[in-house]
Amino acid sequence: MSARPSRPLRWRPLSPLLLGAGAVLVLASVLGRNPTPLFVALPLLLAPVAAAFVGPRSSPSVRADLSVEGAAAEVNVRGVVAPEPEVDARDLVVELDRPPSLVGDPHPSFDYAKNEIRFRANWTAPEPTITEVDPPRVLWRDAVGLVERETELSSSPVMVARYPPELLRIGAVRLEHTTLLPGETPSRRVGESGEFHGIRLARPEDPPRQINWYASARAGQRLANEYELEKTGDILLILDARPTPLGGSLDARLFAIVRAAAVGLADSFLRVKSRVGLGVFGEFLDVVPLATGRAQRIRIDTALRQAHLSTVTAPAERCAVAVRHHFPPGLTTVVFSSLSDDASDDLSPYLRRRGFPVVVLSPSPLPMIAAASPLRGADEELAARIARLVRRDRIARAWKDSPTIDWDDYWSLGRFVDFVRRPLVRRA
Amino acid sequence: MAPAVRSERFWSLRPVSLAFLFVTVTYLGYLSGFPDGFGPLVAAGGVIAAAGMRVGFSRRVAAYAPVPALVVLGLEAVQTPVGIGTELLAGLGGLAFLVWLADDPARPLGGAARSLPTVAVPALALGIAWSSALFLPGGVLPLGVAGALLALTIAVIAFLVARPAIFDREEG
Repeated sequence: MSARPSRPLRWRPLSPLLLGAGAVLVLASVLGRNPTPLFVALPLLLAPVAAAFVGPRSSPSVRADLSVEGAAAEVNVRGVVAPEPEVDARDLVVELDRPPSLVGDPHPSFDYAKNEIRFRANWTAPEPTITEVDPPRVLWRDAVGLVERETELSSSPVMVARYPPELLRIGAVRLEHTTLLPGETPSRRVGESGEFHGIRLARPEDPPRQINWYASARAGQRLANEYELEKTGDILLILDARPTPLGGSLDARLFAIVRAAAVGLADSFLRVKSRVGLGVFGEFLDVVPLATGRAQRIRIDTALRQAHLSTVTAPAERCAVAVRHHFPPGLTTVVFSSLSDDASDDLSPYLRRRGFPVVVLSPSPLPMIAAASPLRGADEELAARIARLVRRDRIARAWKDSPTIDWDDYWSLGRFVDFVRRPLVRRA
Repeated sequence: MAPAVRSERFWSLRPVSLAFLFVTVTYLGYLSGFPDGFGPLVAAGGVIAAAGMRVGFSRRVAAYAPVPALVVLGLEAVQTPVGIGTELLAGLGGLAFLVWLADDPARPLGGAARSLPTVAVPALALGIAWSSALFLPGGVLPLGVAGALLALTIAVIAFLVARPAIFDREEG
């Protein structure tokens, strides 16, 4: 039994133009008793039909491979589109959509060859973000531009995660154990307190104290010590997705930044085989239970990509009860909250009462508010000062319940990383 | 302007297909019955306007670039007197217009060459029509046959255009 092709042929606007012009010329020829216009009309009338017959008679198969490169704010998308052998790649039209959270030239540059098209787009993430670059739309279009047909594309979207680079080294933090049999999963860790494991080639990010200078001098190249520690513990990330008085637009931007930071934090801890759990608290708590490994990373990435702001404010007690229900107490907990109003301050005290040591990472809305402010000059400065004072007062009040980091430079989490990496300072 | 940039600008005009269109349409204008020899001027103006719209403006404006070329081609053809040479030239003008369309600067180089299978079909039909006009004896009967064939061709084209699914090959 045969099935109809899923993507039929489409006439492009040029076809009706040619057919209309051809019909007018035929009419003029008949009315004027002059065959000359007929000879012009003939190619115009036949070309669309010829183009439809000459092209592929069903949707051609096309494979598209996408990759994302670049560091920090740079997002460089590279791609290759390769059609089936019978189709000339130069007859394909490729359209790539830029995700809304990225900026830059929306039109990629293309390199055409007979059998493949290579394209590249250089975009920028103005703020930390996680987003997906969808596969390009690929159309077959005849050379004259009269007909087109969608292709059968085999490709998948690629994820773009851009977060502050300091998060890459936060995995070295010693976390509290919450399992009965700690050390079941040994992980190779870098640090000065573990068992010596071996020597390896130094990487650019290795700190000087990690370098084995004697071995480096003997070998003539930089070598670093590697230590082996037991599994260090577990961490829970809680995202406050409740609406605030800042409004939907600002809330959404702050939440996007928070999601990116949570991806970075989870990646970093999962890389050293810590167990990571996730909770997104909107009206209710959506949970990814504690686990480790690559599958957990995918679970957390997927949950964070799909996380969205709630439209309803829910009591913090509900979050604390749900967290206690899903996770063991004593778990090091990082709460992401903008602390924009009194209601968003109350998550950490409730969580502490349930036995979760909390660190609050609070993305500041002030840079966004300042960028959108219509005030200029002295008025702007005064408004910024008042806003800073209010913010400091709110952070200070939050500190009474738990350590709170004000995150106002979205591309830097140095203060947060330094804080959680120095337990003595933290205790003081 | 640097020589490389100048060269790139020049080739973005797709000069070969543009010259083909320019020569055929302007010569058709020369043979046409436009008063005071305005035929070549009108033809050249239309083609230059079309080429300028295609390379000098945004893609939105460039989409309308075929219109001036098509208008002058039609005007010249209507004004041209009957003659074996002028009919052939008019047909070549139509083909040149298709080749110029295929050489779109927004698409990869070589569009004219890749359009040859598409352009070959109307070119063949044009050759048959022109040789019939040249060699067949005139009279009422051939005129009637030609009229009937023309009407049939238009009906077939209208039928095909209204049903694009006809061009699809069914897959199992």
